[in-house]
Amino acid sequence: MSTYYDENELEDTVTQKSGVFRRLWGVLKPHYKSLLLALAGIIIVSALDSYFTLLFKRIIDEAIVPKNRVVLTQLYTIYGAIVIMQALGVFAFVYFVGRQAESIRYELRKALFTHLQSLSLSYFSRTPLGWIMARVTSDTERMSELLSWGIIDSTWAITNILTASVFMFIINSRLAWIVVLSLPVMVYVALKFRKRIYYHYRRSRKANSKMTAALNENITGVRVVKALRRENKNLDNFKVLSTAMFNSSYRAAFLSALFLPSIQTISAISLGLILWRGGLMVSESAISIGSLQAFISYIMMILWPINDLARVYAEMQNAIASSERVFSLLDTVPAISNREQLIPITSLSGDVAFNHVSFHYDDNEPVIRDLTFQVPRGQTIALVGPTGGGKTTIVNLLCRFYEPTEGDISIAGHNYLDYDLRQIQSRIGVVLQTPHLFSGSVRENIRYGRLDATEEQIQEAARLAGADQFITNLEHGYDQDVGEGGNLLSVGQKQLISIARALLAEPDIFVMDEATSSVDTLTEELIQKGMRQLMAGRTSFIIAHRLSTIKHADRIMVISAGQIAESGSHESLMKLKGAYYHLYTQQYRHELETSMDQFTGDYHAPAQAT
Amino acid sequence: MAKTTKRPYPEYAISQLTSKHKLVSLWRLMKGYQLHYIGATAFLAISAFARSGIYIFLGKFVDDVLGAGLVGRELVLAALQFSGLVLLQALSIFMSGWLASFTAESSTRRLRDYLFDHIQHLSYAYHAEAKTGDLLERASSDVDTIRRFLADQAIGVGRIILLFAINFTAIARINLQLAGISVVIVPIVLVVSILFFQRLSKAYEAYQEQEAVLSTNLQENLSGVRVVKAFARQAYEMEKYEKNNLEKLRRGYKLNTMHSLFWPISDMVCAAQQIASNFIAATMVMDGVITLGSLITFNGLLGWLIWPIRNLGRLIVDTSRALVSFGRISQVLQTPEEDLTECTYQPEGSVRGEIRFDNVSFEYEKDRPVLDGVSFECKAGQVVALLGSTGSGKTSLVNLLPRFYDVTSGRILLDGTNLNDYSRAYLRSQIGIVEQEPFLFSCTIRDNITYGLQTEVSQAEVEQAAREAAIHDVITGFAEGYDTMVGERGVTLSGGQKQRVAIARALLLNPRILILDDSTSSVDMETEVQIRTALEKLMVARTTFIIAHRVQSILSADLILVFDQGHIVQSGTHEQLLAQPGIYRQIYDIQTRIDSALQEELDRVDLL
Repeated sequence: MSTYYDENELEDTVTQKSGVFRRLWGVLKPHYKSLLLALAGIIIVSALDSYFTLLFKRIIDEAIVPKNRVVLTQLYTIYGAIVIMQALGVFAFVYFVGRQAESIRYELRKALFTHLQSLSLSYFSRTPLGWIMARVTSDTERMSELLSWGIIDSTWAITNILTASVFMFIINSRLAWIVVLSLPVMVYVALKFRKRIYYHYRRSRKANSKMTAALNENITGVRVVKALRRENKNLDNFKVLSTAMFNSSYRAAFLSALFLPSIQTISAISLGLILWRGGLMVSESAISIGSLQAFISYIMMILWPINDLARVYAEMQNAIASSERVFSLLDTVPAISNREQLIPITSLSGDVAFNHVSFHYDDNEPVIRDLTFQVPRGQTIALVGPTGGGKTTIVNLLCRFYEPTEGDISIAGHNYLDYDLRQIQSRIGVVLQTPHLFSGSVRENIRYGRLDATEEQIQEAARLAGADQFITNLEHGYDQDVGEGGNLLSVGQKQLISIARALLAEPDIFVMDEATSSVDTLTEELIQKGMRQLMAGRTSFIIAHRLSTIKHADRIMVISAGQIAESGSHESLMKLKGAYYHLYTQQYRHELETSMDQFTGDYHAPAQAT
Repeated sequence: MAKTTKRPYPEYAISQLTSKHKLVSLWRLMKGYQLHYIGATAFLAISAFARSGIYIFLGKFVDDVLGAGLVGRELVLAALQFSGLVLLQALSIFMSGWLASFTAESSTRRLRDYLFDHIQHLSYAYHAEAKTGDLLERASSDVDTIRRFLADQAIGVGRIILLFAINFTAIARINLQLAGISVVIVPIVLVVSILFFQRLSKAYEAYQEQEAVLSTNLQENLSGVRVVKAFARQAYEMEKYEKNNLEKLRRGYKLNTMHSLFWPISDMVCAAQQIASNFIAATMVMDGVITLGSLITFNGLLGWLIWPIRNLGRLIVDTSRALVSFGRISQVLQTPEEDLTECTYQPEGSVRGEIRFDNVSFEYEKDRPVLDGVSFECKAGQVVALLGSTGSGKTSLVNLLPRFYDVTSGRILLDGTNLNDYSRAYLRSQIGIVEQEPFLFSCTIRDNITYGLQTEVSQAEVEQAAREAAIHDVITGFAEGYDTMVGERGVTLSGGQKQRVAIARALLLNPRILILDDSTSSVDMETEVQIRTALEKLMVARTTFIIAHRVQSILSADLILVFDQGHIVQSGTHEQLLAQPGIYRQIYDIQTRIDSALQEELDRVDLL
């Protein structure tokens, strides 16, 4: 996971701000029942918290001072009952709001994941993976916190402050004014502090990511660091980062340490005032001793709701920014989707034709210009030509990862825009240049081609692909875990599995981007064999690099600058002595030299050489 | 073994840190800030005293001031004293928090720097074995656990114990019996909360694990988006994600249920204790055993006796985790570093580059030699080509030259002096390495080219090197030229481009000895020609070791060494090797056959 991605870097991509609260309510609405229960719980808890102080006043004034044991027992019974009610209240709010937080997190992630599946390839090629990851993980986290604990904590705080104020006014309004007037000052100071603390806290988290990234890089590149004796310079660079981390982290800690004492200092003033004015009142018998004690308790406790309120407020602003980003992702419209009227198909078997197809990404230069060609059913087409010439784009268009900006593509007699998008894609088998596997077993990865395949079918596909031999040699055979992204297997092995996967899918059209990286000779042979299995009887498009692949094709198209430069059989193109001739002789020499690899081997890090 | 390398914190040697007792080691970790930490503890005690003082004062105020009906100066004085106590408490809490966080932040910052430097000085062998993720975790999140321990948990434990001791004493002074009754529940609460937080901590780990699974799931889905689309497996992917997401929801619910039961139940238990003690105290007032003021004092103190105990359970569990983290860091710290400067021979200027291997053997693991009895020699400026299949020992051989590893037996002579007599730092300054696909750092291209240069170079020199390495045009093609960032957030260079950056770097470094990997598996022909030309420039007048993949490099080599299973099976020039039977000639024959096959094919096409 790309943990080091700075989640704020792309904040400016969020444009629409309106209606975020309305939409947040939309997220919250299905949970209104559990929210109401939690709110009921927290309001009871909070109000009773305030009432305790009042109750203790009554115990002093009504029982202890007049020495009335009956009232004392009565009041303590109420005390006990309140404790039980409070416990129920605590259970209710923790239980319901906790579940609500978890559920909202779950739902948001589900919605985002589902939506991401419908977005087109163009979205993923222009949006960094780390950005999307941050939306789905940390932003949903902040949203669900706001919509659950944020609401509960602020409700607790507000209820507590309000009920305490009411009780104080009931006891004595003149003393109550002293406390109530000091409240805005405390709230103001608390907010200022909390915002600063949160600001530095977030900065320290960013500094921490940078520090971890630097450390990661230094460990990964330690060979170069050692060879070039960069140790001292790197330490100096790292110290800059760790100092930045220290500065923000220490500042946040310092402010946190200062925060509550500052509020206490303000309350110390009102405490002194209360003690003095209240003392006078007691001596004049205007209020009881219990009342004075109650006021002092109220002031000393009001710290906590103020703290909570300020914290929720400081975090809320970022949670709203997170929500906006999440909503903007959900609002992204897929660039490619089905038309309204679809022609039902069961097979894509038939001729493929490009008619005056042009294409450009976004607003850039066209990468495909007025391309026209036809491929009869069952033929194999080799696409060759320089990097950036447009080979990959042709394949992307054929798979309908992108759609032509001009002209049309027809498969089996119809414009392919009239077919169901997913039908097309599932009928076209694709083997990519860099094979991508998913964590899980070898078997699961092959089964990806056809989910209902039997064990026999899976093994048959592996056999046809030439993958069965290495699989059975693995410690756990088909149950072997391939690791994250398949990284426990070699490139060649991943390629063989991806061929088996494509074979199992039994596609009507086969598309392959041949790997340029060299694998050992034996694996290479197996891959070639597997490819021939896939090409047999299917219309195939191969972005070809290997001579044997190229020569096996029915037709070779040299793609250059978005157009077909040359097209024809191997012999006819060789005769032209043009671009193909040039490419072929170059590649010939290259393969000749790399064929020495079985002799010279690859350069390996010593870890693998052991 | 005298250490002369300039190290970041000389007073902070590892030997001083290690102790059998982790808490002692942690204390040593704070070296230089220990006084601050003692200060933090002292202020902690003051704040605890002040807090108890507030309630004692209130009780006395009720009894002595209000009870006696004093309303004049005494009342004003009492109000001021009361405010003063609250201020003192606030101030000492601040001082304690400030000093503790200063200690924690400063010590961990130093620990971070130290670890960073230590890790980059660990031996090559260590890094070859170690897992990056694991090392990273130790140096980042484990250090952070220590920071939190010093800043919050250690202080928190101290705070709760101090509060308990002081408040208990204060209550005992009011009435011993009352004090005894008030703490009946404390041991039970403590044990139960420790047990609870242990279980909670496990449940939380399970939850975090599932979060990681979910993240990996998402990441694989995003990076494999083409595969998902190609097989139209969106529904399947959603199902898989749903399964993981639901499992996380389930674990979250479990965690939440634990919370929702523990807090109200422990609330009730603590409250029951409070009601009981309170009730008894109230009757004592009525019976005249204690005063009303004492009841008010008692009521205030009691809360600070019972409730914090629940948190003590949490802090104790956290502490045990912090000690585990510290243990993991200690393991790294105790691994010895490789000495860069230790030497018995310090030549003036550069080496000439004359190299002799004298019956050299090398093994990574005992009795499993990867090089066995290797002997050869080359003159300064010669080109040595190394041939052989994977695992035959070529890489191990070149790793011996910069002393990434030291020979197991035999010796290597450089300009007639044993390689082990040179310092590693000096040797590495004399050797340039160009790998097949070099690691580039996420800084600008210019910084990558000048990476490792010990002197400043001008932009003109950088560009000159880049031109010679045939990478200048590529760089100027980027919008920001030499200031273009490389890596995750910048441009991605192809393997061939990276290699040329490394060649430019080697040209600037101007080493006497060069180690090259000349394979180019993923570049087109034009680039290959450029790289070859650049490499030829680079090799001029340097002793060069080539891990050879190309006929050209072999043909022009002064010495070809053919390796098989750690032995040199053939050596000589191209002509010499071709003249004798052996692997070399066999392979060469195959190539010439291929060559003539191409010619035949071209002829055939012409005839058609």
